Formats: sequence, C-alpha cells, structure tokens
Amino acid sequence: MTGAATLALVLALLLFVVGVAVLTAMARDALAAVVVFGAYSLGLAILWLVFRAPDVGLTEAAVGAGVTTSLLLVALGRTGWAGLGPSFSLSFDARSLVGPVAVVLALSLTLPALSPVGDPEAPGFGGASAYYLANAGSLGIENVVTAVLVVYRGFDTFGEVAVVFAAGVATLVVLGREVP
Amino acid sequence: MQRPESPVVTKTVRVVSPFVLTFGLFTLLHGTKSVGGGFQGGVVVATVVVALGFGFGVDETRRALDRQTLVGTAAAGVVLFGLVAVGSLLRGAPVLDLTAYPVATVYVVELVEVGIGVTVAGVVTTLFFQLGRASDE
Repeated sequence: MTGAATLALVLALLLFVVGVAVLTAMARDALAAVVVFGAYSLGLAILWLVFRAPDVGLTEAAVGAGVTTSLLLVALGRTGWAGLGPSFSLSFDARSLVGPVAVVLALSLTLPALSPVGDPEAPGFGGASAYYLANAGSLGIENVVTAVLVVYRGFDTFGEVAVVFAAGVATLVVLGREVP
Repeated sequence: MQRPESPVVTKTVRVVSPFVLTFGLFTLLHGTKSVGGGFQGGVVVATVVVALGFGFGVDETRRALDRQTLVGTAAAGVVLFGLVAVGSLLRGAPVLDLTAYPVATVYVVELVEVGIGVTVAGVVTTLFFQLGRASDE
C-alpha cells in the first residue's frame, strides 16, 4: 500500500474509533452501548493490523470485540433489565464532558515527548530490542513477540498467567455459590 | 439467559464453531512461527464455548463442561508453566532459562504456550459460565 492510501486508511479508522467511542458514551440504551463498544474494539483491532502489530490486533479482536462483548451481554441479561426497544437514542449532558476533556487535554501534553511513528532513532529500537531481534531466530522462534513473551520476559508472563488464574478463582469465590 | 430460538444463530454456531476451534488451536500451537500464542489461542478456543452458549443456551453448554474440569484445566496450565520454570534449576541453570533443556528451545516454548492457553481458555470459559448462567443452583 502506498503512503497516501495507508494514511487515509489510518485517518478513517481513527475517526471511526473516536466516533464509536463517543457513541458508546452517549448511547442511552445499555445494550446499544455494549454493541457499539464491540465495534470500537473491532476498529481498534484493524488499526493495530495497519500499524503492523498483528499480535496485538488478534488479542484486541478476540478479547475486546469477542469475549468482553459477550461477557457484558450475559451480565446485562442477568440484571433482568428490559431495554429501551429497537430505537437507538443518544443522551448528552454537558457536565459529563468536563472529566473526559480534562483527561484528554492532560494526556495530550505528553504527546510531544513521543517519537514519530517509524522513527529509527526512537529509544525503543535500541538496547534490548536489538538483542531480541538478533537472537530470537537462533532459538528457532520466528515470531519475535512470542520469543520476548516466553523466553526473555518469562517471569512477567508467568505473573500474567497467575493473574488470569486468580481472576477465575475470584469469580468462582464471589459468584460460584454451588454446594461443592 | 433465555434459550435463543433463532435457527439462524444455532445454524451459524454449528457451522462456524469447528473452524474457529481449529483456528484457535493453530494460533495456540503455531505461536512461534506466526501471529499469536498461548493467550490469543486460549481466548479464541474459549470463544467457541461462548458461541455455543449463545447458540444453545448457557446452561445447556455448562452442563457439558463441569466446573471441576474447567478449574482443573486452568490450574494445570499454571502448574505446567511453573514446572517448566523451575525445571531448569535441575540442570544447573537459572529459573525460567528455557534454553537449559536438552530439547530445542522452540519445543519448551510450545509447552509453555500450551500451559498459558489452557489456563486462559479455562478461566474465560469459567467467567462466561458464572456470569451467564440463568440460575443459582
């Protein structure tokens, strides 16, 4: 893809993601908000693919668009909440803008500190990542992301797996009230 | 959750599930060569159970997979990763030195990925069943 086409695609996806994020915040119906939030995750997943981070994109599509949406849907089903019907309506309260706008402005102050996209001089490309890129192949692992996660940063990954397991156990402790 | 009546949903779930499951297992076991790995593969495999829950009812699906099996699977993944992690000590290497084993490192990594995958798949399925079940039996 040429540079201009990629730029147009990225801009369109960013507009879509921001648009559905605003719609998620403004939807009056909780079910509609969940569905629009799923579209937000899907847009973000495609954006990661365009940015050549397919591992993150696959995670976003599976966890964000798939599992989170279904968990929110079944949780919504349990509340016994009837919904507002098939119409899609938005609500807007100017006071609710204060918090998000303040956070966005505060975070925007950090933008000049970031390196441009694809800058070879960016700090992330030196140091350890050069070592990972040079040595992961000799382990027989062609996907460097997997090599970093499992071989070089195995302790972090073990902690993450323990956190996932703890989340499942905690859910069972809180919700799983069946007699053993 | 009420049992969905739509034949479109049940038929789609029937047709799509085997392919999604295959893709999930491929992602899980092929993480060293292509996109994905234990986390992604485990989630995609769990998505099959989620889809079955939407197509045929959460409680019907839950009856086919009992809780002990799910929690046992999730725990087995953590234990497997832990054993691989401390196993390198036996060969005089530091903890989590996956290159210390006498087999090619890529196979050790695959073993760890399987451990990650079954834990993630078991936990996501457990979360779905606990949130989605209709009754507090």
